[in-house]
Amino acid sequence: MEERLKLLSRAMQAGTVAVAIAGIVTGNLTWVPAAIIALLISFIPSLLRRDLKITLPIELNFWIVLALFLHVVGGFSGFYDSIPGWDHLTHMMSSSLIGALGFVMVVIVDKYVTSIYLPRPFLAFFIVMFTMAMGVFWELMEFANDSLAHTQLQYGLDDTMVDLLFDGIAGFIVAIIGAQYLLRVSADHFVDSLHVDQAKDKVVDFLQKRKDSV
Amino acid sequence: MAAGPRTSSLLTATTREALIEAELSWIASMVLFFATVYAVLKLDVLWIAFGIAAISLYVLPIISTRNPFRALPWEMTLLLAAPVLLHISSGSRVMLDNFVWWRHLTDLAFALSLATIGFLLTVELRMYTDVRMNRPFGMFFVVMFTMGISGFWQVIEYIGDIVNDTHNLVSNRHVMMSFVWVLVGGTLMGFVYDLYLKAMSENRKRTLGFVHLWEVPNWKKD
Repeated sequence: MEERLKLLSRAMQAGTVAVAIAGIVTGNLTWVPAAIIALLISFIPSLLRRDLKITLPIELNFWIVLALFLHVVGGFSGFYDSIPGWDHLTHMMSSSLIGALGFVMVVIVDKYVTSIYLPRPFLAFFIVMFTMAMGVFWELMEFANDSLAHTQLQYGLDDTMVDLLFDGIAGFIVAIIGAQYLLRVSADHFVDSLHVDQAKDKVVDFLQKRKDSV
Repeated sequence: MAAGPRTSSLLTATTREALIEAELSWIASMVLFFATVYAVLKLDVLWIAFGIAAISLYVLPIISTRNPFRALPWEMTLLLAAPVLLHISSGSRVMLDNFVWWRHLTDLAFALSLATIGFLLTVELRMYTDVRMNRPFGMFFVVMFTMGISGFWQVIEYIGDIVNDTHNLVSNRHVMMSFVWVLVGGTLMGFVYDLYLKAMSENRKRTLGFVHLWEVPNWKKD
């Protein structure tokens, strides 16, 4: 299963490269920058693992690549216009991703900050609120971009509201999956598996070295 | 008791203060209560939910301590009641139709009251559950809560518009502007409540009896 997800992630990264090359070759440059940026982002988890030893769960890793891939390929192939609901699909992918990353962060905070204690039901509630809040923030950024740079990111009221609806659904899904996950794997164990401890040591080491060299 | 008269006059002074404080708060809560009743009569589902949530947060400390003086600060209660009042008042509707700034004002009032609910949640979660937040996280929670709830709020309004064939949501621009006010109001209140608790006199904190629980500085989990 894990190997398969890894392989799929690689395939999708290759697909993103293909989009960039195809864009350059055909002179269809609109989606080339997006493809390159998506590719760079999709390597962030590997960089984290190499330099900080932070290991995100493979499923999350896969989800990141999938969201980026669907966005880039859909954009390049014109799926946003030709396939109804594509926009909402990618939107839900990215908002669930942000919800999941928020979940990981909050669990880490809960573990390392001694003046904070967040039981599971509260964590689930918080993730729903967080995901929706980020969705609202996203729409606000699109709105600001549209108003200031006269772009057309928002198609209208219906589109925005359905986006938000899917953000909300994504929030609930992430909250349920997250709460279930912590039921199977204890929060301590989960944070350990991310290797945040080692990352902290690395950073402390690095800062110490810098201090010594000055 | 030689110091008797002095002590007792001080005592009556504090209880009188507490009484005035509580009376103001009860009056404000009545405003909130009747506004909610009005919403119930109108079958205005979202505002009923809002009113019930606000009233629950108001009465919970009173009921659990069996002490009517454990009422919320009156200014906070008024802040809670303001958007419901603005929503049900026909005067406000006239203003809404005529002035753009009035809509911004009602949006801001809504944001402030949502942030107040978020703040009360942090306090009352501290009182009744195991949840513990420190101040930065509490502030972050207030902002996320305010924006999250308003997001769901607008989505439900939108669904209601489709189901009932109404047009409560006028345009994308309107919704976005209300989100702007929610962002501004929520963030502002995150900081305001921080300052508010710092500025509140010890005397008043004692009278109210629980707002200081927003953050208990010495609490540590094992």
